[in-house]
Amino acid sequence: MLKMNNIKKVFRTDLVETHALRDFSLEVNEGEFVAITGPSGSGKTTFLNITGMLETFSGGTYHLDGKDVSKLSDSQRSRLRNEKIGFIFQGFNLIPDLNLFDNVDVPLRYRGFSAKERKIRIDDALERVGLSARKKHLPSQLSGGQQQRVAIARALAGSPRFLLADEPTGNLDSLMARQVMQLLEDINQQGTTIIMVTHDNELARRAHRNVHIVDGQVSDYKDLQPVLEMAEA
Amino acid sequence: MFLYYFKLSWLSIKRTPMLSLLMVLAIGLGIGVSMTVLTVNYLMGQDPIPSKSSELYAVQLFSYGPGHENSNTDDNYAPQITYQDAMNIHESPVPLHKTRSVVTGATVIPATPDVNPWGEAIRAIDSDFFTMFKVPFLFGKAWDVSVDSAPENVVVIGKEINDKLFKGENSVGREINLDSIIYTIVGVVDDWNPSPRFYDLNNGKFTDSEVIYAPFSLVPVHDYVSWGNNWGWKTEEITSEEEKRRSEIFWNQYWVELPDSDSVEGYENWLTGYISEQQKLGRFQNERAAASLKDVLEWMTYSEVVSSDNSILVGLSFMFLAVCMINTIGLLLAKFLGRASEVGVRRALGASRSDIFKQHIVDVSLIGVTGGVLGLLLGQVGLLGVKSLYSNYDKLVHMDFTLVLIAISIALVSSVIAGLYPAWLICRTAPSIYLKTQ
Repeated sequence: MLKMNNIKKVFRTDLVETHALRDFSLEVNEGEFVAITGPSGSGKTTFLNITGMLETFSGGTYHLDGKDVSKLSDSQRSRLRNEKIGFIFQGFNLIPDLNLFDNVDVPLRYRGFSAKERKIRIDDALERVGLSARKKHLPSQLSGGQQQRVAIARALAGSPRFLLADEPTGNLDSLMARQVMQLLEDINQQGTTIIMVTHDNELARRAHRNVHIVDGQVSDYKDLQPVLEMAEA
Repeated sequence: MFLYYFKLSWLSIKRTPMLSLLMVLAIGLGIGVSMTVLTVNYLMGQDPIPSKSSELYAVQLFSYGPGHENSNTDDNYAPQITYQDAMNIHESPVPLHKTRSVVTGATVIPATPDVNPWGEAIRAIDSDFFTMFKVPFLFGKAWDVSVDSAPENVVVIGKEINDKLFKGENSVGREINLDSIIYTIVGVVDDWNPSPRFYDLNNGKFTDSEVIYAPFSLVPVHDYVSWGNNWGWKTEEITSEEEKRRSEIFWNQYWVELPDSDSVEGYENWLTGYISEQQKLGRFQNERAAASLKDVLEWMTYSEVVSSDNSILVGLSFMFLAVCMINTIGLLLAKFLGRASEVGVRRALGASRSDIFKQHIVDVSLIGVTGGVLGLLLGQVGLLGVKSLYSNYDKLVHMDFTLVLIAISIALVSSVIAGLYPAWLICRTAPSIYLKTQ
């Protein structure tokens, strides 16, 4: 369902050439919850951006639901992203002057849903994260945990098959982090594939599978449990 | 999606009020200045009688003697003709309508002592004048065509003078005292004040039309004195109006209505014949002797209704607008890049480059239209300034609906052009870069 083979990503400036991903290969199956770990600068976010088609890659192949992403135009990639992928960011990335309803509405607008369907989906998504009563509030009127729940509602509203989460609990205290993680697990159990970048080993352990990235390459994508245990020890 | 983009644009303006205000001011100032100049220019050059402008012709004759010409016109013709030529060519049966024309004047002596006498210009013309130039009547009509050859003391007056002397009542059949001569009123003209005053551009392009019209046939009867411009090339001793009428002085205008090309050709041939005839009589001895017909728009161009100075001013004002728009580009870059993170989020959520581009173009369009509205207000202030400086431009200092549309369109188009680069720039950059800035 998501298959990357020998993906390369090189960032070039006049003086420096940085290899963010080198021969990066990964397969993610439907319904999986995959945690991506690795040290800072290892290429985790670059991987997530390429997975979400927010960034192009320099070599290799990437198939999403059987479609060769490298052959898609910008509008086709945008369409695919809109239909199949939901994003959750560490900084929530809610639009500050839109209320919760309108924030969740953003991806649905680009999807071309009717006003009636958008309303149903927004209400459902906000209900799912427990914030339907506050849909007229602005993000600034919510706590960090609530904002992240809105971001999750926004990501879920379009019923994506993939949820890409970049340090979704990085800006939250431990209690809120656990709540958000529980929410992600619930979502995964309902069938949504989740790929989550995290520095938090405890969170990573709760995923089905851990993929450790070092210097732009997969260190081991089968099971990193021993590595994590060693790191903790 | 347009309404959605419009809503986002409104939110964007609210989020960056100072930047947006600066852009609106820049566009407004540019539009205000350019529209002030453009309005005057446009109204100066507009067709004053669109339905007939291609059928009405000013007649010119090159009747200078050898070695003489008019150095002030493009074709060296005199802009007016002599009285004797006006009388002679009036014999032509070719034109559908024709009128001699000269501006004179008299003292209006009211019948009632509560209104003081005053001097008033009189347009001496033939009865066809009213038909040719579509002069609307409030009461009565033009004098009978027979009066054009058998003079009678009749006049047509304007609404303004009818209001003043007769309190707006139907004054047809009543009398008016002009220079102690009693005239019978046969018609009252409704509001009619073409601008520019195309039928006589030699005596004030933008002055008001006369409010008294008398038969041209009365010129020799009452020795009407010219109140307009006179040109001459020949040294002649003139001691009376009668001698002036026999002289080679150019002080009359002549207009004909020629509805089709056949009649134009026929009239040109007739004039050629007239010139040959006059040459045999010893006049028109210049080798360039000829006739010229110019329709209304040609006549306006020829008479430089819109001077080259005005055209230069229009160019300069649009250069000023361009400078304002270049400033706007800088402000737009600051505004758009300032919310780059939001663009990144939208891209991540499924917006294509095209969606982002359109959103920003709507954004800049809203600013442009707002600037255009401000520009219209500033343009009105500019026109008031023109009005206070140049009283002749009184009739030109207003914006009609067309000009309002033009102003908004210019504001819209120029702001969209200004917004193309910033919008293109922001929609081209990889969204992941913006997301990192969040």
